[in-house]
Amino acid sequence: MGWREESAHSTPVSRRTFLKTTAAAAAVAAVGAARIPSVMAQERVTTLDYYTLFHSGDAAAMERIVRLFNTENRAVRLNLLQGQWAEYYAQLFAAVGSGNAPHIGICHSSRVMDVYRALTPLEESRAGNLLDAAGIRAPQYTKSVWDAGVFEGKRYLVPLDTHMWGLWYNKDLFRRAGLDPDKPPESREDFERAADAIKTRTGQFAFHPAEDALPRKLRRAWEMLFWGGGGSLLTPDGKRAAFNDERGMRALDYLVGMIHRRGWNAPGTDGFKQFAAGQLGMLIAGNWYFPTAKAAGVNFGFHYVPKFFEKPTTWGDSHNLVIPRQRPERASDDVLVAAARAIKWINERSSIWGIYGGHIPAFLPAQRAKDLQDSETWQIALSKFAYMANQGWLHYPLVHPLAPRVHAAIEPHIQEAYNGRLTPRDALTRAEAEVNRVLTG
Amino acid sequence: MRRRYGRIVEIALFILPFAAFWILFRLGPVLYGFFISLYRWDPLGDAKFIGARNYLNLARDPRFWNALVNTLEFAAIAIPLIVGIGLVLALFIFAGRKRRVTTWLEAGFFFPYLLTVSVVGLIWRWLLDPDFGIVLIALRDMGIDPPVFLNEPRWAIPAIALATAWWLAGYRMLLFRAALEDIPDEFYEAARIDGASGALVFFSIVLPLLRPAILFALVLTTISGFIVFGQVLIMTAGGPGRASEVLALYLYRFGFEYLEMGQAAAVGMVLFLIILGMTLVSFRWLGFESSL
Repeated sequence: MGWREESAHSTPVSRRTFLKTTAAAAAVAAVGAARIPSVMAQERVTTLDYYTLFHSGDAAAMERIVRLFNTENRAVRLNLLQGQWAEYYAQLFAAVGSGNAPHIGICHSSRVMDVYRALTPLEESRAGNLLDAAGIRAPQYTKSVWDAGVFEGKRYLVPLDTHMWGLWYNKDLFRRAGLDPDKPPESREDFERAADAIKTRTGQFAFHPAEDALPRKLRRAWEMLFWGGGGSLLTPDGKRAAFNDERGMRALDYLVGMIHRRGWNAPGTDGFKQFAAGQLGMLIAGNWYFPTAKAAGVNFGFHYVPKFFEKPTTWGDSHNLVIPRQRPERASDDVLVAAARAIKWINERSSIWGIYGGHIPAFLPAQRAKDLQDSETWQIALSKFAYMANQGWLHYPLVHPLAPRVHAAIEPHIQEAYNGRLTPRDALTRAEAEVNRVLTG
Repeated sequence: MRRRYGRIVEIALFILPFAAFWILFRLGPVLYGFFISLYRWDPLGDAKFIGARNYLNLARDPRFWNALVNTLEFAAIAIPLIVGIGLVLALFIFAGRKRRVTTWLEAGFFFPYLLTVSVVGLIWRWLLDPDFGIVLIALRDMGIDPPVFLNEPRWAIPAIALATAWWLAGYRMLLFRAALEDIPDEFYEAARIDGASGALVFFSIVLPLLRPAILFALVLTTISGFIVFGQVLIMTAGGPGRASEVLALYLYRFGFEYLEMGQAAAVGMVLFLIILGMTLVSFRWLGFESSL
């Protein structure tokens, strides 16, 4: 009884059946094992290291693109590493020097002259013309940004975006000041009237000229005014400072006067924080401020930079995708081609970069993509940024092998003038002497 | 003779593990840094030997001298502040060691030491923010018109030194507290019987017996004081102007922003020599018998 009951729940296995089953399983396993290498070969994944200098909203937007890439591409996987921009170029050089360069990186247009040695010339790589191999075509990119990617006749950069400064304004404070929130100022006279009105009628800070007022931001604010007056930082041969003239003086005097004569703000304050707290009427800041302004819940608008002097001008730069120099043992020719194709893919999806990162895609089909054009980012801010870029208002920073040191020689003196501890004349004289010292080695 | 030889081998074997790591990770980088400082160093491999030119460039650069003066100013304020506050806190905790509340206070005083430098820098930048900082708001509420500490050349370094003291004094407190525990009670009893005042006990018994701990704290704090970097970068970025640009920040900028590694290595060697000199002075001043 007990045995029969047991047999109802289990199937007795004869020795012959057991042997047959085992033999069959072994055969299947053997065939399977024989097939494994070819299956693995089909499934082999190329992993490309992709290092950027993005942080905050930019980093989140790039992560979104890379996640999409890794979902849609089975054969190639991007390994994204993002960090602070201040150390980025040094890390890139160190990585290239030690033979561990990322397969894809980022480079500002303004840095091509001092970074190109760490980059692969895309049309003359050891794997041939990578642009042709990946199908990257010049007419598909914003021309000015594309043209900026060449140094000494060789192309190193594939443009990703354009980014620049513009005017963010608080619509509620505009109303309280008796200003029309749908008509932000465009001329210098309108701008000054608006700032004075905000100051006197709301009691809040009227204007901040330079994001969080870090020394490099104050230098950019001065450069923006200086370039708008037709100035140039260095002589055409790049060997001497050329900014200590009437144009440089007028720009710095105007910047300093905003704080010390007109009282639109105070030295040492952070425009980002003031604007996010609803305590600032107008702020000059980059397109990357969009997510912060949105998250702060401020009723804000965005407009072009006013025309302060002869020509409306804004500070701007571009991010570009690059292939850092690779050792053959780290990256075969196929890997270089895969990196170029990944660059093309990232640009094809760069409408995401516009929507979530707030940058203007340099890849024209992405710039015209419906999802970007319909987005709030485009309608509030990016359309205006694109207008400034298309009108030629954008001015790139100094492109020079010693640009970082030239900038560092100018910044503290501009900041001291802004803080009211140096006269504009003294500040420019000291900056000029220091820049010349840097340039003469 | 053989026995003596065996003894030397035995000692060498005991030292070997530490010595190997010390040479690899301490002495090696210092020598390599000196090597780099003699070159126009290119991380991509095109280095060119230029002898002492990086050092001559430093000597000619007013920015370097400004950074050196700023570093000395920071060290002059921060080192006594950190060691002094640590000592006062240790005495305070030691005096009330039988009360339970002092345990909590001790933990509270030590807590900032557990934070990273970036957190410390951000906390103090927020505290001293001209628009939203609690410190400035509180001072204004008290009727004081405070300077914008981090944007005033006179105040930037003292403000950073204060933040650094808040961060590091707790660890010195623990060192002194442990040393205080080591002083036998009989010494205090004998002094009391002889009618010594509190000040006399402190200067004649406590302070001399704390000498090894003071030496250790001084050497440690001198090193921290001269290589100050993170809190400066975060709180002022060396500003306003260059009022708080210290040597380590100068080094960082040449190395990591301007990619001039040879020049940066020369600054590193100068810093190394300054710290070595200060450490030897501390030994000389407090006596070589002070144990570390």
